[in-house]
Amino acid sequence: MDRRTTPRTVLLVVGELLAWWAALTLLWLVLISSVYPLEWIVGASVAAAGALLARAGRRAVSWR
Amino acid sequence: MNGWVLAATVELAGGGAAALWGVTTGPTARRVVAQNLTTAALCPALLLLAQGYGRPSYVDLALLLALLGPVGTLVFARLLHEDLEGQRPSAWGLTYAVAAMGAVVVAAVCAATGPGRAMVKLLVIGALLVGGNLIASRALSGAFRGVRGG
Repeated sequence: MDRRTTPRTVLLVVGELLAWWAALTLLWLVLISSVYPLEWIVGASVAAAGALLARAGRRAVSWR
Repeated sequence: MNGWVLAATVELAGGGAAALWGVTTGPTARRVVAQNLTTAALCPALLLLAQGYGRPSYVDLALLLALLGPVGTLVFARLLHEDLEGQRPSAWGLTYAVAAMGAVVVAAVCAATGPGRAMVKLLVIGALLVGGNLIASRALSGAFRGVRGG
């Protein structure tokens, strides 16, 4: 088990992705005009992709 | 014509005309500052028009402008950095005045909208507008020149 797969690291990664996902889903729900179930599904899916991109972007500008 | 539309007209005529004049005349350093302030001058006008005409879709235009305006300024700052070498293009008095005007407009439209998701959206736009403009102005004045890859 190397450093990238320790439970602590995995937990941190999942936590960060979940935080991005929640924030982006909330942003989606705020920016649309009317909320109904399809919007929830689309918003949550797009936010999941956005969370991956956001983490990649955050890592790209980190000095570590 | 109601008060909202009148305010938007005054803002478009004053801020828009001033920004256009600044962009089309003078040295590069002044043009680039005027280009940056154009977003901050026009975005609140769109919010006022949305309220005045009762068309929430105009708010989306304001959101796009608030998001893309500062990004465009950063591109200009990057592409023109050789022309702007040794200069520190800035107009902090105007920058803060326009930021304050944006904040006042967002507050007024929020008060008219009332609590709810629409108000949160307006606050997001206001934060993007004011924050983005201040960051873009700092970038233009050379504050981030030492940043790696900047």
